[in-house]
Amino acid sequence: MDTTIKQTLMEIVGSENFTDSLIDLIAYSKDASEHRHRPDAAVWPVNTEQISAIMKLANREKVPVVPRGAGTSLAGLAVPEQGGIILDLGRMDKIIDINIEDRLAVVQPGVIYADLDRALSPHGFFFPPDPASGSVCTLGGNVATNAGGIKGAKYGTTKDYVLALEVVLPDGRILHTGSKCMKSVSGYDLTRLFVGSEGTLGVVTEITFKVNPKPPMNSTSMATFETLEDAGRAVSEIMYSGILPSGLEIVDQQSLTAINENTDLGLPEVEAMLVAETDGHTREETEFQMKKIVSIFKKNHASTVKHEDDKEKAEALWTARKSAYGVAARINNNLFVEDLAVPMSKVPDMLRAISDIAKKHDVKMPTVGHAGDGNLHPVICFDGTNADEVKRVEEASVELFEKVIELGGTLTGEHGIGLAKIPFMGLEHDEISMDIMRSIKRLFDPNNILNPGKMGLEE
Amino acid sequence: MEGKYEFEKKFRDQVLRCSSCGFCRAVCPVLGLTKRPALNARGKMLILKEVMDGNIELNDELTETLFQCTTCASCTNQCPSGVDPPEIIKEVRKDMVQRGTCHPAFEGMNRVLQEHTNIYGEDEPEDFERERNKKAEYVFFIGCVGSYREDEATMATLDILDHLKVDYTLIDEVCCSGALEDVGFKINQTLARKNMDLILATGARTVITGCPYCSRTFNNKTQYSALKDAGVNIIHISQFLKDFDLGVKTDKVVTYHDPCDLGRHCNIYDEPREIIHRIAPNFVEMRHNRANALCCGAGGGVRGAFAKNSIAMARRRLEEVEEAGAEVVLTECNSCVHNLNNAKLRAQKFKIFTSTQFLNQLLEEAG
Repeated sequence: MDTTIKQTLMEIVGSENFTDSLIDLIAYSKDASEHRHRPDAAVWPVNTEQISAIMKLANREKVPVVPRGAGTSLAGLAVPEQGGIILDLGRMDKIIDINIEDRLAVVQPGVIYADLDRALSPHGFFFPPDPASGSVCTLGGNVATNAGGIKGAKYGTTKDYVLALEVVLPDGRILHTGSKCMKSVSGYDLTRLFVGSEGTLGVVTEITFKVNPKPPMNSTSMATFETLEDAGRAVSEIMYSGILPSGLEIVDQQSLTAINENTDLGLPEVEAMLVAETDGHTREETEFQMKKIVSIFKKNHASTVKHEDDKEKAEALWTARKSAYGVAARINNNLFVEDLAVPMSKVPDMLRAISDIAKKHDVKMPTVGHAGDGNLHPVICFDGTNADEVKRVEEASVELFEKVIELGGTLTGEHGIGLAKIPFMGLEHDEISMDIMRSIKRLFDPNNILNPGKMGLEE
Repeated sequence: MEGKYEFEKKFRDQVLRCSSCGFCRAVCPVLGLTKRPALNARGKMLILKEVMDGNIELNDELTETLFQCTTCASCTNQCPSGVDPPEIIKEVRKDMVQRGTCHPAFEGMNRVLQEHTNIYGEDEPEDFERERNKKAEYVFFIGCVGSYREDEATMATLDILDHLKVDYTLIDEVCCSGALEDVGFKINQTLARKNMDLILATGARTVITGCPYCSRTFNNKTQYSALKDAGVNIIHISQFLKDFDLGVKTDKVVTYHDPCDLGRHCNIYDEPREIIHRIAPNFVEMRHNRANALCCGAGGGVRGAFAKNSIAMARRRLEEVEEAGAEVVLTECNSCVHNLNNAKLRAQKFKIFTSTQFLNQLLEEAG
């Protein structure tokens, strides 16, 4: 990168908020995916005006800019694939306003999910889309990926809570979308266009979220099933029973086996384990819902069912689900935390396919997922230094996503396309759809400087 | 695969196993302060991967991050992949020192301990008005910070031991030099030998340390194994005092700061709280406590090498004291007390003590 560009960046953000040190370039070369590429420089802007000035400069000089939060993307969204400038938004971490009267929280993009949750808690409110990385991920990143979480089946994902945005466009103009109103159909829904756009259309600099009252009570149950089909039927039946669980998670046999091999938990190695949680304002409310769920578990031949309303005892029922990632992360050197979604009724078919594909290619793919909204996470564990194994993983991935599409599913439920899913974009999106997406990208970013190379938008 | 550096031989698998999930961001005191990912454990592991790949050398460009880790082990505690970054970083620092790359403050520490008997290079040992090197049941080992910087806390501890009529002796102690292992060097054998000889000569069966780091060093480092071989038990003062009820109480709101060296590194969380619960019914926990406690910022050589950040980290910890509404912060490490006191703002009205110092104060007030 030209030294005059670096000099100008320093003038914009101050030399203490600029770096091109080797250690920073390496630290910014990767996120939680397996993709890696160094930027040429990084900046820590502290306000919207600085970002606007940076974008004007980058647009003029045609230098790539990659916005970054906590860098927890599992699909390479934050990797500067074409070098350029990393825009680390971590120092814009102010909660600007919590307005319970209007059910709003206004935040800067670098606020950590857990910090907003903590700030809302005394008011009895919460921000429901709760990614597993909630202790570290930033809300700007959540908006960019339209992050979901365990509560998706009942409470939806980030897009259901974003009311308004302040966005710096690639040419430096500052756009305001949406309104502070719970309802608004005033013009095109530009807000939604930016949610999940993976930092390819603009840099989000302020977010207005709708927040929810937090039901104080929970009930939890866990059930094991000898066959995936029984578990799958139980999931479908729960979801059309009239009850909306606040969590309905599935753990597959590969995960249970892996957990047993690496811990002394001694879990039953059945084909599937389901964990359900209900929430409400009274014990009667949560228990009424949970009893219905438990009866559906039993009707579908659950081999064991455990049911707790005590908070601490309920934690034990979550153990398998919550330890699955940690165990998978220790199996081998590399891991792809995959992300796919299928219609709820297809969850058992998809889990069966995952198990078959893993066996066929001799690949470890323990799978957990948010069964209540059909969103599954096969975690592919492999040794990246073993060329043969890498090849088998690649082949298994292709088969996996072909199956997803065959079942009417989608390539990603909550992690995004980024770099990881580009090879599969054509499976889900036809030429018309890709053409419209590319047109939108060109409209906002004609010079293709903002997070270039992502989402398969380049022809 | 055989690596070029020692750290690769020991830790190659661990470095590779870091999946870059970034969960360490939630707890790293250096990242929390600077918001600079290169200084976080994930950043350090990425840098080491590039070193192992042969893309970069372990050179001066890397000291700012590899020497800026308090070795608090919060990341280890948080890591889903089971990576232990502080252990890796300590080994890397040794590789760097071998190649002549080192932070000047760390080099200075090693030099001081070659020429002097304590990390401050002070030649006049503090006189605590107690007999030294006599036969006794216990040795009380003070440590450098307690001897040369927090001598009032040490005096209070000795007063308590006297009050309890404990048969103990001080020795002409020298620095345990365990900290050298954290900053790229090795324990100084001459100093270790001297400490062991003096301890063994007293015939004591137990060494009580005022400093959790000294306790860790005596217990875990092979250079001190002669102590264990001779059947000498090594405990920290908090472990010793937990069984005594001194019959004093305070109505002040008290909180407790878990020192990394006692908490995450030795798994001692309950004993200090037992002592405090007995004297302070109005006990409150800070937001980050026990295994999640936030580091005071002093460890791993950071106070010496990156003083400004070290103090700023301590300030972040003290914000949690305010948040908890405590009037008194107790801890069990002189080094933490020292750093936290240095960071305390005039507007912050709470007091910071070691538990023994506070206990002794209550005893004195009670007459």
